[in-house]
Amino acid sequence: MYDAIKERVKELLDSGEIKGFLALKNDNGNIKPHLYVSPVETNQLSIGDGETPGGARYPLAKILTILLQNHSGERFGILVRGCDQRALKALAAWNQISPEQVVPIGVACPEERAQACACALPYPDEWLEGEQVEPKDPRPVEWEEKIPLERLEVWRGEFEKCIKCYGCRNICPMCFCKECSLESEDVIAKGEIPPDLPMFHLVRAVHMIGRCVDCGLCEEACPASIPLRALYKKVNNIVETRFQFRSGIDQTEQSPLHKIVEPPAAI
Amino acid sequence: MTSQRVAVLKDLLEFIGIEGERLNLVWVSSAEGPRFAKEMTEFTEKIRALGPLNWNYQRAVAVGI
Repeated sequence: MYDAIKERVKELLDSGEIKGFLALKNDNGNIKPHLYVSPVETNQLSIGDGETPGGARYPLAKILTILLQNHSGERFGILVRGCDQRALKALAAWNQISPEQVVPIGVACPEERAQACACALPYPDEWLEGEQVEPKDPRPVEWEEKIPLERLEVWRGEFEKCIKCYGCRNICPMCFCKECSLESEDVIAKGEIPPDLPMFHLVRAVHMIGRCVDCGLCEEACPASIPLRALYKKVNNIVETRFQFRSGIDQTEQSPLHKIVEPPAAI
Repeated sequence: MTSQRVAVLKDLLEFIGIEGERLNLVWVSSAEGPRFAKEMTEFTEKIRALGPLNWNYQRAVAVGI
């Protein structure tokens, strides 16, 4: 399977065009990220078909960011789904990676996966495997129609489930800061569970402004099943309404936070 | 940057059911003592009028908010 991808990766590795290819590997039924550096390994390449087609996902763009930091000047290939490519574009817009160092090889997500994710763009710009599946509108957000008091009740209940594992931050391809406010004791008290309500989650939400590419890995990773994606979807909607910007679409367009503007008379 | 962030945060507070007016951003220079006092007094009055957060929906409904 995926012969087109394997062939292309072999070519790239053989010609020395890339130093390695970051993708997934099926290791006795376990799917995990792997950096392919030799053409002979590529028969183990996986595009993430676990229990369901395309079911296994990893923040490959995040791993690539770290790889590139440690191998300046080298080029790497990477397997990209729609979400991975959005993350790469957003990372480039935030000057975290240089697009010249990245050779993306695309795969379109299978229908089942795209549906499960309600993905806004379940395919990258170009792909070698898979079929184009109809995208979904990323804008509708749960509970938006409820009255404020009910929304407060819902979100307080959700935030209260947090066990402060930092899973959402650790898996997020757009969480690239060297120092994290969520670890600052001035912002979030140490040793308290749940973490300060609603500070912990709002700090993270505000830091998603102009970053979040709606990949949904945070919600997948959350052991407490907090609907984090709904929260960040709302952030993305607010950013779009106020600044006409969506992250991960144009890698040359900087986020609204990079632009110096006159503060509005009333905020 | 701060003004954009705060604008988004106000909308976000509204989304999770907290009044956006509970957050205020003003620029006051260290040379503007009286202005600072005025801003703070006004904001404190605003928050006092809003009262505590209605964290508990059942209770809030019971007391008729």
